[in-house]
Amino acid sequence: MTKMYRNTGRDDAGEKTGMIYQKIEKERNPGRNSNSDPLGPNSEIGRKLRQYYDELVSEEIPPRFNQLLKELERKEKPGTAQED
Amino acid sequence: MPATENFRDGLLAAVPTLRAFAVSLAKNTDRADDLVQETLVKAWDKQDSFQPGTNLKAWLFTILRNEFYSQMRKRRREVEDSDGSITARLSVHPSQDGSSDLTDFRKALALLPEDQREAIILIGASGFSYEEAAEICGCAVGTIKSRVSRARARLQEILSVDGQSDFGPDAISTQVTNSALVA
Repeated sequence: MTKMYRNTGRDDAGEKTGMIYQKIEKERNPGRNSNSDPLGPNSEIGRKLRQYYDELVSEEIPPRFNQLLKELERKEKPGTAQED
Repeated sequence: MPATENFRDGLLAAVPTLRAFAVSLAKNTDRADDLVQETLVKAWDKQDSFQPGTNLKAWLFTILRNEFYSQMRKRRREVEDSDGSITARLSVHPSQDGSSDLTDFRKALALLPEDQREAIILIGASGFSYEEAAEICGCAVGTIKSRVSRARARLQEILSVDGQSDFGPDAISTQVTNSALVA
């Protein structure tokens, strides 16, 4: 087990935040769930796979998606007549 | 209602990773963007069926994946009726810029069958657990595991072969050309 968060004498709240952060980081690190993972950090294929994917994720998002969602919201979902 | 706003923000935040998954499936940016668009519209229409607090990303990936396969089935039917020009157009790989290191990888990835490609992407890049990936693909966890391991083995095979020699038609065509020159 790798220790990503080191307690540097902070209070409980700080520690909790650290733990939550650690959990989020773990979720954000695909393929790094376990040491025996065949696509883990020691795997060349796993590394390239993430590099390939990260490059796609970081591409600029076409504005059409934001526009589409705004439009959908403006139209309001059909069938939601229940508003109080 | 602010819930809709949150839902919209959730969708918007998921667009980059949805897009990456769509490009990986469709191997074509234009088609991928259409898939993402269709996914957002579908997700919006059935947002009531989404359980708040559950995994929105997994839910969206499931919608996108279903959309991809239903489009593919439709296209296959169309191709059967035509001269195959659609197939030819679809197999064109997008000319993305990026490191040449990744160009080989992209090509290798594109050679994998869809089921293996999606499995290795979901597990190795999108950050899903085997259980989540199985749910997204509507199959058993063991099936995902075996697809991932086959995909990995195949990628390793393709990439190492590619690194050692310039395979492909060139070696043969050179021989043919040479012997033709000699004769």
